[in-house]
Order: sequence, then structure tokens, then C-alpha cells
Amino acid sequence: MANETIFRTKSLWVTLGTSLTLLAGLAGCATKPDPADPAAVAAYEEANDPIEPLNRYFFELNRFADIVALRPVAEIYDGILPSFAKDSVRNVLDNLRSPVILANDMLQGEWDRAEVTATRFGLNSTIGVLGLMDPATGRGYARHGEDFGQTLGTWGIEEGSYLYLPILGPAPPRDLAGFTVDLAFDPLTYVWWDHTSYSVGRFLISGVDLRARNLTTIDEIERTSIDYYAAVRSLYRQSRTAEIANGRINEDDLPDIADLD
Amino acid sequence: MPNVSFNFSSVRFSNRTLKNIILKNLTQTARAFALIAGLVLSTTWATSAPALADDTEDAKAFVNQLASSAISILASDSTPKVREDEFRTLFVSNLDMRRIGLFTLGQYARTPTPEQKAEYLELVQEFIVKIYSGRLNEFSNETVNVLDASPKGKKGKQFLVRSQINFTTGREPVSVVWWLLKDGDSFKVFDVQVVGIWMAQEQRAAFASVISKNNGDFTALLNDLKRQIGEASIGHQTATK
Repeated sequence: MANETIFRTKSLWVTLGTSLTLLAGLAGCATKPDPADPAAVAAYEEANDPIEPLNRYFFELNRFADIVALRPVAEIYDGILPSFAKDSVRNVLDNLRSPVILANDMLQGEWDRAEVTATRFGLNSTIGVLGLMDPATGRGYARHGEDFGQTLGTWGIEEGSYLYLPILGPAPPRDLAGFTVDLAFDPLTYVWWDHTSYSVGRFLISGVDLRARNLTTIDEIERTSIDYYAAVRSLYRQSRTAEIANGRINEDDLPDIADLD
Repeated sequence: MPNVSFNFSSVRFSNRTLKNIILKNLTQTARAFALIAGLVLSTTWATSAPALADDTEDAKAFVNQLASSAISILASDSTPKVREDEFRTLFVSNLDMRRIGLFTLGQYARTPTPEQKAEYLELVQEFIVKIYSGRLNEFSNETVNVLDASPKGKKGKQFLVRSQINFTTGREPVSVVWWLLKDGDSFKVFDVQVVGIWMAQEQRAAFASVISKNNGDFTALLNDLKRQIGEASIGHQTATK
């Protein structure tokens, strides 16, 4: 019963749409910095977060959902399942994502990585028993992620202003567009076309898996940040930059620190 | 067709002379170039190139040393209080605290009064000691592998040293990059990147946000730092019990 109401996507979107419009109105009133204050203006531009009040509202919403639902579930999941079972869940999820990763490897012209992804999919789906195990990593084909947001990034498209959405989390325009395109790249989107609950289930399990793998790290960051929302915004942007560069450090991405006084 | 064969010998002739002239000139220019290049190379080779190569080696050695000091602190059975004091000594002598403090202020670096700035720099040092000695506790049971170093920028004052932390527990290795500044004969750490995240950049975002939220009121940041330092200390006491 409860599932039916939650997953009745139509009504969900209507509610979401209405609240978005309402809150966008609110966000319109977001305080812009005093143009006479150069430091405030520069800080406002560096943050690049024009609808910050709305984003913060959604951030708190997600944080609440995390406290009452995601974190407890992730804790139980982490505590009850033996580590080989958790590894298997992660392996299956990873393996299911292979087509999307492969498509993006190729779109970025990363042929070596595309080969790794294809080999991983082949090995793990067969010897690895439908992706439950990951024999490919031991054979020199380590896992890596890719998505269309990153592909757009390698094509030189900027991330855009920060946007934080309920459930989805950080989703600036480039990455939100990437998320949608990845759905189209994913064969399971079509295979499960009439079974939305499967896709939602997969999305939820991915969330629990990710949360369970970062229980202490996230707690530590939350506890030690003087502004958790701004810290997460920076963490998101920085990790995206690193992912787009595939671990290489681009000196142009680094700030100038010669004269700070 | 007949035209081509008719012109052939003359073309060939002029071609040959041209070749000779070009060759002569080329050898002359080449000699001159070789001389200049030789001079330039020998001077740069004698000065900057080995110096830079030495510096990158020194930078790697510095990181190695720093990492092993941190590991030995983590491996000891000292109380959290003693451990924090050891980290304080290590951090204060090896981090460029002033530069970090000014950088994390972001666009607001020039807004505080001298008194506020002095207080801020003291607080931020204590904040870094408390927060990062705490976060480092997560990294016990590890080895640090220094991979390579490269100069950053053209002045040869900054270096990026790449390393990898390997865990004995079988956890996935973590990549760590150290951003160093040359400081006399040694180095100072400006920032550390862990799995793609630069720590100082993360703090800068948070610090600037606190000041913005409070309409540019600098004391708001000072109060928040004091509160965090206080909470970290309480966390310690409960951890000891």
C-alpha cells in the first residue's frame, strides 16, 4: 500500500512541480550581495549558487530523510550483511552500469578505458557469475566510473550554477542533463520500461550501498564542518573535477596562492 | 609533354646550385645554432635542470619523512591528548599555516581588522590541528607510497607530490597529492588532496559561506571556529573515557 502511494510517479511529479514553483518564488527573494561590497560580490560569484536558499531547503530535506531513513537502513545493511554479500551487491550494481560507462568511455575517446569496461563486463558476467563477483579487477581490469555529465565536462561544458534537488542531491545543469542522457544509454531503462519499481529499487539499493560505504566519512565531515552545506557543495564540485580529469591534476584547475596577504 | 623534357636539364641544373647554396647556408646556420644551443643547454644544465631535479627528489623525501612521522604518531599507544599535541608540533612546523589561513578566508582575506586577523590565524591553526588529527585517526594501519613529484608553475617554488596510501586491512588504496612550497632548504605543505578533494578548498568554501550568511560579519566566523574547536575537545574527552 505504502509503496503504491510513494511510487505513483505521476502524483509525485505533480507535488514536486508545485513545490518547486512555490519555492522558486521564495528563492527569487534570495538576498543578493550589496554591490558596494566588493568582497561580498566576489564571494557570491565564487560560490556560484544563485538559488542558495532553495538549495539549502532541499539539502535540509535530504538530511532529514537521511537521518530517519537512509542512514538507519545503511547501518543495518552494513551491520547485518557479511562483507562478501555487500561486495556482491556492489559488484552487481557496477556490472549493470557497464553499458553506460562503456558508452561514455567511447564518447570521451578513452579507448583504453573502454576496453577495460568491455572486458570487465565480459569477465564478470560470465566467470563472475552474472556480476556477483569481480574477477576482472584481479586480472588488471580495475573498476572506474563514467557518466554523461563527465563526458560533457571533457567536451568543455561548464557545470553551471549549483543546484541541489530532493532525493537526487547535487545536480547542477550539466550533471542533471548527464543523468537524463545516461538513463537513455542504459539498456535496462527499456528492458524495465513497464516495471518502474525495478528501476526505483535499483536506484534505492545503489543509494544504500553508497551510504553504507561512507558511514564514518560522512559523519566525520558533518561533525567537523563549520558549514556542512557549503562543505558538501565544495566536495561535490571538487570530486566532479577530479572525476572528469580521470585522476590527472590539471594545473589550471588549481588556485593561485602566490600573494594572499 | 615535350615542354617538360625540354626544361628538365635546366631545372635540374638550377636545382643543384640552389641545393648547394641552401646546404652551405644551412651548415652555417646549423653551426651557429648548435653553438648557441650548446651554450644555452650547458648553462641551464649546470644551473636549473639539476636543481629542479634535485628539488623534486627533495620534495619526495620531505613527503616520505612527513608521512612516516604521522604514521608513527598514529601507531603509538599515546592518549588522544598526547597524540593531538604530537600532531600539533608536526603540523605547525610543516604546514604553511599563515598561507592556509589566508587562503581559506577566500574573498574576505582583506576584510578583517588586524586584531581580528591575528585572532583568526590563531584559531584556524587550532581548528586544523583538532579537525585533521581527528580525521587522520581513520588512517591507522597504512603505508604511504610516494610515487612521483613535479614542479607546479614556472618559478620552481611549488611542487606537487603524488602518493598512495595502502591499507593493510584490504581497503581500496587512497590517492593523496601533496602541494608543497619551497621554504628555504626545506618545504612547507600548503594543501593536501585526498581522493580528489583539496582540504583547503573545502574549508575555504565553508568559511566564506559563514561570513556571507552573516552579511560580512567576521566575528561570526571566529565564533563558529571557537565552537568547533570546543566540540572537538569535548569529543576527545568522551573518546578517552
